[in-house]
Amino acid sequence: MSNSQQQRPPVWADRLLQRLCAEEVVETIQGDLHELYFKRRQIHSKIKSDLIYFLEVLDMCRPFALKRRKSNNSIYKAMYYNYLKVAWRNLLKYRTYSIIKIGGFAIGIAAFILISMFVKDELSYDLHYRNQDRLYRVINVYNDPADFGKWTSFPAQIGQVLNESFPEIEMAGRLIVHDWFDAGNNQMRRVDQVINTYEEGFAYADPSLLEILEMPMIYGNNATALSEPNSIVLTKSKADKYFPDRDPVGESIVLNDDEEKTFTVGGVVADLPINGHLQANFFITLAHREFWPGEQTNWCCWNYRPNILVKPGTDVTALEEKLLLIRNDYVDKYMRATGNQNADDNQKYHTFELQPISDIHLYNEGIHDNFSHGDIKIVWLFVAIAGFILLLACINFINLSTAKSANRAREVGLRKVVGSTRRSLVQQFLAESMLFSFISAVVGILVAMLMLPYFNAIADKSMILPLTEWWFGPLLFGFVIIVGLLSGLYPSFYLSAFRPVEVLKGSLSRGSKSSTLRSVMVIFQFSTSVVLIIGAVMIYRQMEFVLEKDLGFDKEQVLMIQGIETLNQQTEAFKDELLKLTAIKSAASSSYFPVAGTRRNGNSFWIHGRDKIDRAVDGQNWGVDKDYITTMGIELVEGRDFEDMASDSSSIIINKRMAKELGLKDPIGTKLFTWETWNVIGVIEDFHFENMREEIEPLALRLENGASILSVKLATDDLPATLTSIEDSWDKFMPNQPIRISFLDDAYERMYEDVQRTGSVFTSFSILAVIVACLGLFGLSAFMVEQRNREISIRKVLGASANTIFQLLTMNFLKMIGIALLIAFPIGWYLVKEWLNDFEYRTTIGWDVFALAGLAVLLLAMITISYESNRALLTNPIKGLRSE
Amino acid sequence: MKIGAFEELVLLAVGSLGEGAYGVAVKELLAEKTGKSTSIGALHSALYRLEDKGCLVSSEGGATNERGGRRKKYYTLTATGRNALIEANKLRLEFSKNITGLNLEMGE
Repeated sequence: MSNSQQQRPPVWADRLLQRLCAEEVVETIQGDLHELYFKRRQIHSKIKSDLIYFLEVLDMCRPFALKRRKSNNSIYKAMYYNYLKVAWRNLLKYRTYSIIKIGGFAIGIAAFILISMFVKDELSYDLHYRNQDRLYRVINVYNDPADFGKWTSFPAQIGQVLNESFPEIEMAGRLIVHDWFDAGNNQMRRVDQVINTYEEGFAYADPSLLEILEMPMIYGNNATALSEPNSIVLTKSKADKYFPDRDPVGESIVLNDDEEKTFTVGGVVADLPINGHLQANFFITLAHREFWPGEQTNWCCWNYRPNILVKPGTDVTALEEKLLLIRNDYVDKYMRATGNQNADDNQKYHTFELQPISDIHLYNEGIHDNFSHGDIKIVWLFVAIAGFILLLACINFINLSTAKSANRAREVGLRKVVGSTRRSLVQQFLAESMLFSFISAVVGILVAMLMLPYFNAIADKSMILPLTEWWFGPLLFGFVIIVGLLSGLYPSFYLSAFRPVEVLKGSLSRGSKSSTLRSVMVIFQFSTSVVLIIGAVMIYRQMEFVLEKDLGFDKEQVLMIQGIETLNQQTEAFKDELLKLTAIKSAASSSYFPVAGTRRNGNSFWIHGRDKIDRAVDGQNWGVDKDYITTMGIELVEGRDFEDMASDSSSIIINKRMAKELGLKDPIGTKLFTWETWNVIGVIEDFHFENMREEIEPLALRLENGASILSVKLATDDLPATLTSIEDSWDKFMPNQPIRISFLDDAYERMYEDVQRTGSVFTSFSILAVIVACLGLFGLSAFMVEQRNREISIRKVLGASANTIFQLLTMNFLKMIGIALLIAFPIGWYLVKEWLNDFEYRTTIGWDVFALAGLAVLLLAMITISYESNRALLTNPIKGLRSE
Repeated sequence: MKIGAFEELVLLAVGSLGEGAYGVAVKELLAEKTGKSTSIGALHSALYRLEDKGCLVSSEGGATNERGGRRKKYYTLTATGRNALIEANKLRLEFSKNITGLNLEMGE
C-alpha cells in the first residue's frame, strides 16, 4: 500500500455505494469490491478500473443489498401531509400576513414573467437564418476622438467591390431603406387601377439580397426575382392586398402616378418576421439602376447599406482588416481627386467593422440606419428591475416569517420534544414556503394576464403569455421551487433553531432577535423604491423639457399634408386654393421638416474657392419653398428671406451654427460651395431639427420644387371644420388619392416615444416596488403593534398621550426610511445623471426631485404604519390587558 | 430444499473452498472452474439467498490491509446445504435417465 491514494477507487463511487446499500451489507460488499479493484489495477488503467468499479456499484442495486425504505415511506408521506396541513391552517389563521406574503410574491412573479417575456422577445431578433453565423453588415467607423461616429451607408460601387475583391465573401447585397427616390413611402396602385393607396416600407435591394437574407418565396424564385430591371418583390400580405388569390408575378405596378416607369412584380416573399431588424413590404431592384449619370461608380454619395454572407470558416477580424482596401483604393482616391482636405484624417481614422445581423437589433451603438432598435441596456435594466422586485417580495416573506416566529415557537418546541429532528423541521418550513410560492405563482400568472395588455402597450410589443409552450410549465415550476427555497431558507433555519425548553417555558423574546436583519431589509426595500421613483420622475422631467423647450420653430397648429409629390405642377395651385381659407395663415412645401421620418440630405460645405484648401463643414442642405421660414416660425436674424425661384435659384440661407463653423463674421453675400455655388442671403436662428440627443448641426436652406409634404400654419379654434375644408380642396385636385394629414407637434412627440416608454416602464415598476415595500412595512408594523400591545395598554393606563405612543410606534420605522433615503439619493442621482448624459440638451437634476421622491415615500410609509398604530391607539387598554 | 443451478455452483464452490470461502475467492474459483466471469453483484445476491435458505452460514473474518481494513464475510456449507446439493444431483440423475444413451454417473 505504498501509494494508497493512487490505488483507491473513486471516492464518489464509494459514497454512492454507501448511500445505496444497507449498512449491514456495505462492509462486506465494499471490501470485496475494493479487493477486486486492486487486482484489476494491476492489469488495467485507472480509468478503466474506475469505470468497472462504478458499474459494479450500480450492479449492487439488488434487493438484498439496497436500503430498506418501504416501512418508512408512509411516515414520510404522513409527515409531509401534516406539514402542508399545518401550513394551510397557519395561512388561514393569519390572513392579513398571508395576503401580504402571497400578494408580494404574486406581484414579484408577475413582474418576472412579464419581463422574461420581454427579454426573450428582445433576444429573439434575427435568429431565423440558416447561415446565422455567416451573415454580417458592414459598418464604417470613424475613430477621430473629437468626431467619433459609426455609420452603415456606402457609395454605390461597394456592392461590386465586396463581391469581386474579397474571396472570403460569398455574396454581398446592397439595401436602401431610407427615404430616397422610391425607397420609403409611395402612392401605389395596380396598373389597371385609378385610386392610389399610400404604402410604407419600400426598400431598394440588390437581386442577391433575397438570398442573403434567406427570404422564403411564395411566388417566383429567390435568385431571379429581382434580376430584371424595374422588378419589384412584394410581401405576402401586400400581394394579397393588391392581387388577391393569384400569382402576381409579371403584373405591373405604378408608383406615384408615374405611368412612364412601371414596376413588374418579380416575386412574392413571405411576410418578414416581426422579430427581425428589417421591416419592409416592397423590394425594388437595384439591378441596372443608375439614379443619375455616373452614379454607380461615383464615390461622392453614401446611400447603400451592404449585407454580406461570408464563406464558412472566415476569420472575421482578418476580413475587417482587409476591408481597409475600400478606404485605400476608393474613398481615399476620390477624396484626393476632389482635393478634399479631410483625406489625411480619413486615412488615419476611417476603419470598418463587421456586425453579425443578429446583433443589429440590440447593439446599435448610435448608428442611424433607419431600422427601429431595441437596446441591450434597456434589456439589462428590465432584468435588474425584475430581479429587484422579486428580491423585495422574498424579503417580505423572510421578514414576516421571522417576525411571526413567536407564533410558531411553541409548535417548534413541541415538535422537538416529541422527537422531531432539526432536519425535518427545516423541511417543514421549506415545504411551507413552497406552498406560498406555489399559490403566489398561480395568482402571479393571473396578475400577469391582467397586466399584459398594458405592458404590451408601454413596451410596444404584441406578446402573449406562453402558457401552452412546452417550456413554460417546467420553467415556472423550477422558478417557484427556487423562489420558495430562497425565501424559505433563512426562516426555516431560524425557526428550527429554537431551544425547546426555552420556548415551552415562554422565555423566548418574541421574534425581536433578528431585528437588525429586518431593518436592513426594510432599508433595502425602500432604497430600491426611492431610486425607481427618482428615475421615473426624472424621465418625465426630461420629457417635459423636450416638449416645452423653445425649439427655434413653432410646432403648434401646423398641419403636414403628406404625399403631395403626385400634385406635380399643381402644387402651387393647391397652395393658393388653401390660402383662400381664412383659417390658414400660410403654407410651405418641402420634403424636409424638423421631425423624424422626413427627408435628410447631408452635404459638405466650403467657402467658395476654398474647397481644396479647407476641411469641409458637414451639414444639412434642405430644399424648401419661399414660405418655409414664415410658416415654420423660424427667426431670421440677418439678411432676407427667399423671394421666388426665378431670382433666388442659387441663393441659400444658413443657420448660425453653419456661419460659426465656416468662420463667417459677415455671412451675407458670401459665396458657399457644395457641388455648386451658393450665395448666402440670410442667416436664421439655430432650431432643433434632430433629436435632443444630438447637438444642432449646421444647416442650409435652398429653394426646391417637387416636395413631398405641404405644411400648413393654422389660426383657428375650429379644427374639424378647417380639416374638412382642406380635404375638400384636396379632393378637387387629387380625387384618386386619399389625403394624409399629420400634425407637426404629434410628429415631434413621436420622436421621443422611447423616452416616454422608458418613463412608463419606470413608473409602473416603481409603483409595484412601492406596493411590495409598503405591504412588507404594513406587515411589520402590524406585528410590532401586536407585540407591544400590552406595553401600549399599560402606558395608556398610566396616562401616556396618543402622541407619545404614536411616536413610540413609528419612530423606529421612520428612522429606517430616513436611512433608506440617504442611501437612495446618491445612487438615484448617479443613475439619472448617466441617463441624461445621452441628451445633448437636458433638464437639470433639481433637489426638488429628491425632495418629492423622499416625501412621497415618507408619506406612504407613514400612512402604512399609522393604520395599525392608530388601531392600537384607539382600542380600549382593557382589551390589551385583560387576557393576562 | 430446492436450489437453482447457479446456486448449486455457488454451494459447490463454497464447499470446496472450505475455510477460505468469501466473496472474491468464490468468484475466482467459479471463474476458474466454469471459464465464465460472474458478476460480483449476482454472486453476493446468491450468497445472501443461500444464507436465508439455511444452506450457508457466515462468520466475520479479520480485517486485512488489502481491503482497506474491511472485514471479510466467510461462508461455510451447512448440513442443509449438503443435502440440497445431494438432492440437486439426484434430481439431475433421475432426469437424465429419460435420455437414452446418456449416462451422467461417473465412476460407479
